[in-house]
Parts: sequence; structure tokens; C-alpha cells
Amino acid sequence: MSTVLAASPPPMSRRLARPAKGALGLVLFLALWQASVPLVGLEPYFYPAPADVWRAFLDLVTKGILPVYLIDSIGRYAGGVAIGTVLGIACGLAIGISRLADRTLSPAINFLFAIVEVAWIPIFVIWFGYGFKTILIALTYVVFFPMLYNTLVGVRTVPQVLVNAALSLGATRLQLLREVILPAVLPNIITGFRVGAGFAFRGLIFAEIVAAKSGIGYLIFEGAANHQTARTIVGMIVMGLLWLGIDNLYLKPVERMTVERWGSVTTAERRE
Amino acid sequence: MTRLARHLPGLLPFAAAIAFWLVLPQAIDYPTYMLPPLGQVIDRIGESVMDGSLALHVRDSLWRLALGFAIGNGIAIPLGVAIAMNRHVSDLLRPLLTFLQSIAGIAWVPLAIIWFGIGMGSVVFVIANTIFFASIHNTVTGVQSIPNTLHRAVRSHGGSGVQVLTELVLPGALVQIILGLRTSMAYGWRALVAGEMIAGTSGLGYMTIEAVQWYKTETILMGMIVIGLLWLALDRILFVPLENATIRRWGMIRR
Repeated sequence: MSTVLAASPPPMSRRLARPAKGALGLVLFLALWQASVPLVGLEPYFYPAPADVWRAFLDLVTKGILPVYLIDSIGRYAGGVAIGTVLGIACGLAIGISRLADRTLSPAINFLFAIVEVAWIPIFVIWFGYGFKTILIALTYVVFFPMLYNTLVGVRTVPQVLVNAALSLGATRLQLLREVILPAVLPNIITGFRVGAGFAFRGLIFAEIVAAKSGIGYLIFEGAANHQTARTIVGMIVMGLLWLGIDNLYLKPVERMTVERWGSVTTAERRE
Repeated sequence: MTRLARHLPGLLPFAAAIAFWLVLPQAIDYPTYMLPPLGQVIDRIGESVMDGSLALHVRDSLWRLALGFAIGNGIAIPLGVAIAMNRHVSDLLRPLLTFLQSIAGIAWVPLAIIWFGIGMGSVVFVIANTIFFASIHNTVTGVQSIPNTLHRAVRSHGGSGVQVLTELVLPGALVQIILGLRTSMAYGWRALVAGEMIAGTSGLGYMTIEAVQWYKTETILMGMIVIGLLWLALDRILFVPLENATIRRWGMIRR
């Protein structure tokens, strides 16, 4: 954007104008959608209007369905992401520190990484049945591989000079890990976390469509299966808001915090 | 160390997994459908290759992916450039695009089934939708990250609007657009497999999920292996050379 160049902050009017225009865009979209419904003249189950969607939303809230589904989804997501992150970092560090382990395990990791989580869900269903266990394991799997992979790359690119310097100054293995390797790997870990969290969110929705009886993914699927299309769209909108919430309230602050703390700005996207 | 010796340790985990798989049925008793013996999976692969059914599924999947990729990017890249070049339009549309991007993909499958029915149409719609939103975001970012000084420089040297587009905007955004192609393919691939599982009538995803109903675990495992190998092949054949030719050459690799 043009603001990249501006040495001084943009004038107040423009800073205000941009979100306002964005909001205008959303309102225009909704208005066009609502106006197009009588023109298209299709069944509401085929092409529901925003007003139908709003009614379905109120209905789902007053019946208490939506809050329960939302809590289920968030619980599964948080659990899977947490377990996958911890396991991924631990394995990444362990493998990364040893060159032999790296060489031995990398091809297998690359292969497993290529079998997308979506493809694992059928066999997880066979092994663990439908429900919470399968979803949790699938999400753990989704997060584990980007975490492992990025941690591994990070450890591999720590300059040997730094390791030697720390060791020759008498650092123990533990100190080496804590003072040199972990700080150097942190930006990679954050990258892995963002990638993993993004894929895990889509994985969550898919897993809930295939293997659950509650949650936002189930709401989206069930609505369409029962020709309550407005419910499906409520589910999609809630899903979008949930992801934007996770991204803006959680992932981006974490990224900013660590990037500022370690002073290693890597993202080009920041320049917007 | 020679090349071969360097790659040799990498085969160990595969060998260990195969050995484990061979020994397990002898060591403990468990229902075969949980993990059929390796021999059965190999037989299944042999059968499916011989009777041509595997090739049909692979062909259907790849055809849908190619179609979705072409439609998604064919709309996203021109539209992305057009949006990004006009500040008013991009201010207007950006939040909407961000929002739609966050629901893009698998969540559209149920709606797609209502609109297009089970089968080809739904799956291609979902792939194209996924790829569109992944790609347009990268295109817009790519165009907007071109410094304004360069715009002014081209203009003050008498460049026309078309020249701004061909000489500045497209080359300047190319790296980001190519990154977008690759990212969108990764999302599109997942959308393909997932879409076929929910709304497919053929293809690798359909083959795999269909087998769950009949507890034909050897078919599930075959599906996973083929999905993994195919993705590695796609990535190596399409994107690694493309990146080498462009991003690496211009020294903009970011990893």
C-alpha cells in the first residue's frame, strides 16, 4: 500500500476512511445479496436471504444449540493444537540436534507430511471410532508436522559458530539449548505454529463434518442435509468469525510479541 | 560421503515400519480390519493397478484439481491485480475478501452439494473456491507491496497505464503470485481430497472414504499412500522447478 513510503503517519481522515470503506463494502454485499433474492426467485433452501440467515442464527442461539457447538469446537481445537505443538517442538529439537537423526528421519517425515491430515481421517475412524478421540488425534497430527518441520529447519540453520562459542565458554548442554538454540529457533516455531493453526482449523471443520455429532462443522453439514440451508450459512459465518478471532486475538499477538522480543522481523506481509 | 551413503539412513524408518508391519500380526492378536497384513495391501495395489480402477481414480482427481486450479487462479489473479491497482476498490473489498478467505474451502462442500448435487460440480467448485481465495490474497499483497516511488518513476518517464501494468505491476508482483500458486495448490489439494470424501462419486478421496463403510482397510491404506506420493510428485514436478526458475533466481527465497 502507498503508506509503506509515508515517513509520517497517514492523515487522520484516511486512517478513519479505510475501515469505514471496508464496512461499506460488507454492507453493500449484504444489500446486494438481499436484493438478489426476489430477482433470482429460487427456493429458500437453495438460496436463502440474509434475513433468513439472521432468523436461523437467533433460533440457534435461543435454543442453545450454537453456544454448545461453539464450545465443543473450541475445546477440540485448543486440545489438538496444544498437544500437537508441544510434541512437534519436542521432536523437532530432538531430531534437529543430532545430524544423524535428522538424516535418518527426514525422508519419513517428508512422506508423512505429504499425506494430508484429511487422508488420515478414514483410518482414524477405523481405529478410534467416530467422535472426540478421532478429531483430537487428527488435529494433533495436523499441527505436529508443520511444528516439527519448522523447528527442524530452525535448529539446522543455527550457525555452528554460535554453538561452538557457547560450548567453549563452558555452557552445559541444557544451557546451550536454552540460551542459544531455543531463541534462534523461535521465529521458525512461530511460523510453524501459524501454518499448523491455519490448517488445523480447516481440519477441525472437515473432521466435524465427517466424524462428529456436534460442533460448527457438524452444524454446517447437518443444516444442508436437512435442507435448512440458512443454518449452514450461519455455521459458515460463525466459522469465519471464529477464525478471524483466533487469528487476530491470539496468533498475531503471539507473533508480534516474539518478533519484538527477539528482534527478528521475518514477515514481509507486515508491510501492508 | 557419497550421495548414496547420505541417503541410506533415510531408508531406515521405512524399512523399520515395514518390518514392524510384517511382525505385528504374528506377535499380537488383533482384528485384521484394524491393520491388514502388508501382503494384502500390496495385493490390493496390484489388483487396482491391473484392473485400471486406481488409474481412473487418479485421473479423475487430477482432472478436478487441474480444472479447479485453472478456474480459481484464472479469476483470482486478474481480479486481484485489478483490485490492488485501485485503492478505493481494494479498501472497499479487502475486509470482505479476508472474511470469505477465512471460510473458504471445505465449509462450502455442503452448500455446493445443494447447488450442484453430488459429484464433479461440487468438488470442482470447492477446489476453485479454495484456490481463488488463497491466490487473490497473495496477488493483492504482491501488487500493493510495490513501492509507490516505482509507480511515480514509471509515470514520470512517460509510461502509460498499460506499461505500468506490464513493466512494473506484473513483474513486481510475480514472486508473490507464484508463492500464492503454491500455497493455493496446497489448500486446493486438501480441498480435493476432502471434497471427494463428502461429495465425490469417484477419485482418491471417494475411494478412501468409501472403503471405511466396508472395513476395507487395505484400500484406505492404499489411498493414503497414493495421496502422499502424488502430492510429493506434484510438488517436485510443478513447483520446485518453478520456484528455482523465478524466486531463487531473483534472490527472494524466504525460508
